[in-house]
Amino acid sequence: MPTIHRLVALCAVLLASRAEAQHLLVPMDDAQANHLKAYGVTFNALTEGVRAEWLINYRGGAFLLPDVPFVRRRASLDGVTFEAINDAAVNTIRAEIANTNADAVPLEKAPRIAVYSPPNSPPWDDAVTLALRYAGIPYTRVWDDEVLDQDLSQYDWIHLFHEDFTGQLNKLFLSYRDAPWFIDQRERDLNTARRHGFANIPALKKAVAAKIRTFVDRGGFLFAMCGATETLELALASQNVDIAGAYSDGTPMDPDADNKMDWANGMAIVKAHLEMSAGVNAMSDIDGHQVNVPARRQPLGTFQLFAFSAKLDPVATMLVQDHKSVIPDFYGVTTSFMRNVLRPAVTILAYEDGAPWVKYIHGDLGKGAWTYLGGHDPEDPQHNIGAPPTDLALHPNSPGYRLILNNVLFPAAKKKPHKT
Amino acid sequence: MLTALTLGWSAPNALRAQAQPGEGALRRALELENAAKYREAALVYRDAITQGAIVQGMLGLERTFGALGQEDSVLPPVETLLRTSPRDPVLRGVLLRTLRALGRDAAAQRAFDAWRALDPRDAAPYREYVRILLMDRRTGAADSVLRQAVEARGGARDFATEFADLYATMGRWDAAAAAWRDAIADDQYMDQTASYSLMGAPAASRDGVRQALTATPTMPLVTRSALIRTRALLELRWGSPRDAWRALSALPPNDTTAQTWIDFADEAEHANGALAARDALEAAYRVRHDPALVLRAAALSLRASDAAGALRLATEVTPALDSARAAAEALPLRVGALAEQGKAQEAEALIARYGAHVTDAQRRLFARALAWGWIRAGDIARARKAAAEGGGENEDVVSGWLALFDGDLDAARAGLRTAEVKSPEIVTALAFISRAKVARAAGIGAAFLALARGDSAQASRAFEQAAVSVPEAASFLLGLSARVAAARGDETRALALWRQLVEQYPTTPEAPEADLEWARALQRRGDRAAATARFEHLILTWPDSALVPQAREALDRLRLAPDAVARTDR
Repeated sequence: MPTIHRLVALCAVLLASRAEAQHLLVPMDDAQANHLKAYGVTFNALTEGVRAEWLINYRGGAFLLPDVPFVRRRASLDGVTFEAINDAAVNTIRAEIANTNADAVPLEKAPRIAVYSPPNSPPWDDAVTLALRYAGIPYTRVWDDEVLDQDLSQYDWIHLFHEDFTGQLNKLFLSYRDAPWFIDQRERDLNTARRHGFANIPALKKAVAAKIRTFVDRGGFLFAMCGATETLELALASQNVDIAGAYSDGTPMDPDADNKMDWANGMAIVKAHLEMSAGVNAMSDIDGHQVNVPARRQPLGTFQLFAFSAKLDPVATMLVQDHKSVIPDFYGVTTSFMRNVLRPAVTILAYEDGAPWVKYIHGDLGKGAWTYLGGHDPEDPQHNIGAPPTDLALHPNSPGYRLILNNVLFPAAKKKPHKT
Repeated sequence: MLTALTLGWSAPNALRAQAQPGEGALRRALELENAAKYREAALVYRDAITQGAIVQGMLGLERTFGALGQEDSVLPPVETLLRTSPRDPVLRGVLLRTLRALGRDAAAQRAFDAWRALDPRDAAPYREYVRILLMDRRTGAADSVLRQAVEARGGARDFATEFADLYATMGRWDAAAAAWRDAIADDQYMDQTASYSLMGAPAASRDGVRQALTATPTMPLVTRSALIRTRALLELRWGSPRDAWRALSALPPNDTTAQTWIDFADEAEHANGALAARDALEAAYRVRHDPALVLRAAALSLRASDAAGALRLATEVTPALDSARAAAEALPLRVGALAEQGKAQEAEALIARYGAHVTDAQRRLFARALAWGWIRAGDIARARKAAAEGGGENEDVVSGWLALFDGDLDAARAGLRTAEVKSPEIVTALAFISRAKVARAAGIGAAFLALARGDSAQASRAFEQAAVSVPEAASFLLGLSARVAAARGDETRALALWRQLVEQYPTTPEAPEADLEWARALQRRGDRAAATARFEHLILTWPDSALVPQAREALDRLRLAPDAVARTDR
């Protein structure tokens, strides 16, 4: 065969192979069979050293992955919907992204995740660990000893959930003082406090709060839900003020505590007022819903995700990726955040139309960032202590849980884009 | 459009119950309402109110206007009546319910506040309003109202039912069960209501509910009995008739309990709890000595495939019956039970003992039963003779089985298709016949005969051997062989067959099922890695199989098992 004919034949073979699928598009709109595990597939790809892209505002925040066997296998096993596409299709997608409110964010490295969670399981669930385990995303459990003794910079992302950083054990003393699990928890925390040279639990938890703040300030990402949001802020603002009831530190609250709070030391709150009555099951007026105070309790509504500019605000856009823009609300020890207590620089990611509170907020601190989501479990709106854990196999498309997993992947973005 | 009725009368003191106020009008109105003539009924209810039947008339208006979708037409009459009878609880309830139906939540709140203001210690307003709030699942508001009620009444005891409903609506099942326990202590007839309220408890919460409803020795007998009944009703509603009977059997045996047991048997029978119903009827018989109870128990036992139990009961009750009744009611059960046990000779002797008391029609029925009995005994020749003596259709279930045992698949298909109740055995046989392309298969006959005789070891081997002679149904027969082996506990043999199916017949419908069972067997043996590999193999090889969700669920459970979590928590 003449040389030129061989060259033509070789080119034809090469062209044919390039026309075959080379990418996997994981849609995250209603075409996706399992949204939550899709995050796991993407995370797993990053763990194996594969680069991915997050196509924010395109098909519900789709993921673009290379078409390699282990990714296909993982997606097939998990029931994650994917579409094999070639370069031409990818180019078409990129053109659409360029001309619309969308963007392609490279994901380079799987973040190192730590979950602040006590060694013994309390009788309530952690929605974040449920989501991580369901999606197959590994994490490290840390508690007070690790936070105080270790260098937290070994992690990229820390999650806080139900912990009361004011050291008042979520005021569960009011209803569960004789419950064995409550007694165990209190003893455990007292022993930890003594071991680290603290006089009581509030002092211990404030020190933990300060270390977490430092972690964020030095470049870490923090995601907090439920009571951890509000109590973290209170703990940071009260480093030198006694805001804990007598049952937790032996002394009553400083009667002038409200005026002595140093809100500049917090991250999200500009000013709020403490709940001065030890018998009232609330911490402050940060929470809009006050679920555990019957006389103040607000009914649940729905909250709406804010639509950001993907190219100008990629961070906020990543955090609100979802296939639903209106999501049913859910209670928590802290369900929401009153608008009037938030710092002006706080980005509101989700809000309830017409309500004085918001649901989901984000901000920067130093080199790092934090995100707060109110509520306990997106698929258990009325959650109570002792309730069985949510089975995410029954909620593979949960729009609320997607917000949690957005926060998990967000630190994997190539560089931390800045708002302009 | 809506037509609002105005009532231009004054009705002072009209709410006091009168002997027969407006009875005729009420009767006419009810007839019209039952005939769905709501407009006409509303007019007559208005007349009834005018004649003094205030309460019944107003309730009738509420129903009929509700049926017409004209709830707002209820407001004028009820508000008029309330001006003269502001404290009437029925009228107040109608007002609240109507405002709720109209979606006027703020007005309903004001109506509640006005009612409550008349007498803050009156429990009725709180009860009615809480009920309405819970219908809309407004648990926060209901909780707030109940706390006001507790404060006003100085205690929560009067509102145990409402708290129970609130907690159940909130999903706080332990608290709901404890509240129902308190309510039942005050009113033993709350058992049905309590069980209905708690039946929604998820499986994970049921132990807590059971614990909360456990009677203590210090409780009065009526309370203990009511709690036991509640437990039993719950277990029945949760799909556990045996657990329900276990709870109910603890009641002290007396005539009232016997009736409770009989009522339970009725419910259990309809809830696929034939054996639980049988035990309840037998226990009731020990108290009431009514043979009808035992006969019914024996029939249930036979239906639930407990032939020995049926025989025992039917034999026990026979001396209490006269000969005619024994022949008509007990004898068929005894013959049927003996036939199921393969004791055809005993059954023939029993029939002979009743001589003239057995009618010709009965003899023909008994002949078919005897045929089945001879099949179970393994004597096909005598089975055919009995079937022939029974007459009947050439194509019926017994002839179908006989044909199958002979390996005559065409005749078997014709006979088995006539079965009114398609038992699992008949379904299996017909499924095989539909796959086979041959008209005769001798080895298959021997296999099904062994199964009918209860020789599962021989049946499993025979099905495996028959797979060679019927290649178009080989995978089906191997799968059947594996199922039979697994059912008799021979998991080693079953595993080998499942492996053969997966490896040699991957394109057949039986392959995914075999892979799933193989994986489950490995999981039972504690080989997590191998089980994981098998579940993954199923998902990846047959992604469209209906069994894939089960495999995924099993994989998730394997991954999330406690020591698997330790691997995840680095």
